[in-house]
Amino acid sequence: MTITHHPSEDLLADLATGVLGEAEHLVVSVHVAGCPRCSRFVQTIEQLAGAALEDAEPVPISDSAFDLVMARIRENPSPEAPPAVPASAASQHQDLPELLRRCRFGKRRRVAPGVSLQPIELPRTGKARAFLLQSAPGTRMLEHTHTGTELTCVLKGSFSHGGGRYGPGDFDYGDDDVDHRPIVGNEGPCLCVVAMTGDLRMNGFFGRLISPFVRL
Amino acid sequence: MIAAIRAARVPNPAGIELPPKGKVWPSVGVSKGPKAKVEWADLIGRVASHADREAFKSLFEHFAPRIKGFMLKAGCGADEAEEIAQNTLVAVWRKAGQFDPASTGAAAWIFAIARNLRIDSLRRLARAGRLSEDAELANTPDAAESADVVMSRVEDTVRVKAAIEQLSYEQSRVIRLSFIEERPHPEIASLLGIPLGTVKSRIRLAMNRLRDLLDEEP
Repeated sequence: MTITHHPSEDLLADLATGVLGEAEHLVVSVHVAGCPRCSRFVQTIEQLAGAALEDAEPVPISDSAFDLVMARIRENPSPEAPPAVPASAASQHQDLPELLRRCRFGKRRRVAPGVSLQPIELPRTGKARAFLLQSAPGTRMLEHTHTGTELTCVLKGSFSHGGGRYGPGDFDYGDDDVDHRPIVGNEGPCLCVVAMTGDLRMNGFFGRLISPFVRL
Repeated sequence: MIAAIRAARVPNPAGIELPPKGKVWPSVGVSKGPKAKVEWADLIGRVASHADREAFKSLFEHFAPRIKGFMLKAGCGADEAEEIAQNTLVAVWRKAGQFDPASTGAAAWIFAIARNLRIDSLRRLARAGRLSEDAELANTPDAAESADVVMSRVEDTVRVKAAIEQLSYEQSRVIRLSFIEERPHPEIASLLGIPLGTVKSRIRLAMNRLRDLLDEEP
């Protein structure tokens, strides 16, 4: 897997310091998990952040703080277990990267000819939604401009637009500055994990955003 | 901190060979106390395996006041900073089993927890909602995931360490101020004594330099 498109350093730093929303966190993480170069960058920022915490001026905490914390722990003493992999997802998504196999998925639905979308259910609701987007070989999306941001990591297949060709592991960032018209490669279906900003329940933003290219 | 990096230097270090989850950790006394050179990762491991209160107390005494100090500096109010410090330590206890010392440093891991709790706290404030135990416990794929994401190869930790060492003080400072302490650019300008217009390019240069250093073959 030759990765040629990477997230910006700022985005990687935001991942490392935990500033990203969950959906964005997931998509950038999927790229980083498959990209030694970016994972080193993230690791470096994490170490710098840890060093900053170590260097922070200790400020006295309240006398009762330790007892309060222990009391809360006693209410529920068992350390959290790592999140279990839902059995259905395990069988359904065996060929996905580890990070995605751990996720819960909503119902996959067809959103346009040759295009299907499967929501990823995240424990905490942020501004962005995450989903898997699968497109048939050769699918041409209609020209569209982003009104929010869209973070994409290619899992299988490829697509191309003005920014170049995006294959497995490649990361694409689209915002309202980007005018593009992606074409899915002919070598096979293209599967991507996508984080897109907008609140689909509130104002139909998601629908407006996605409809230009999937003809919802 | 930087358990993973330290581990790369020390022969047979404690904590680099993480036993599979559920396996019993070697029980070591806390006689050294937090002032001695403590493997924080090891203490977290003992919280995970033995619900070790003494190990936890050492972690608490070291990190809680620093988290509070860090949060105050990052612009939190005193009550909020105190609350985040306490919540972080509760989460350290509960998530201890998810900590992987082979892939991330203890301080970096604890930082990530504190950071996420602060984000939650800001979101709650934005919604003007009351703090709820549920919200606090909402378990994101945060620290555990980023630990998972971070490559654990020794070669990587060596390169990371080398890059950090080669980064100039000025450059690591600007990265810290901007991304880790989230200082606004005017504040960074006055702290570094540079014109506001230069801050952005200074940050960009530092980030590019870090990329280049990490891309160099060791």
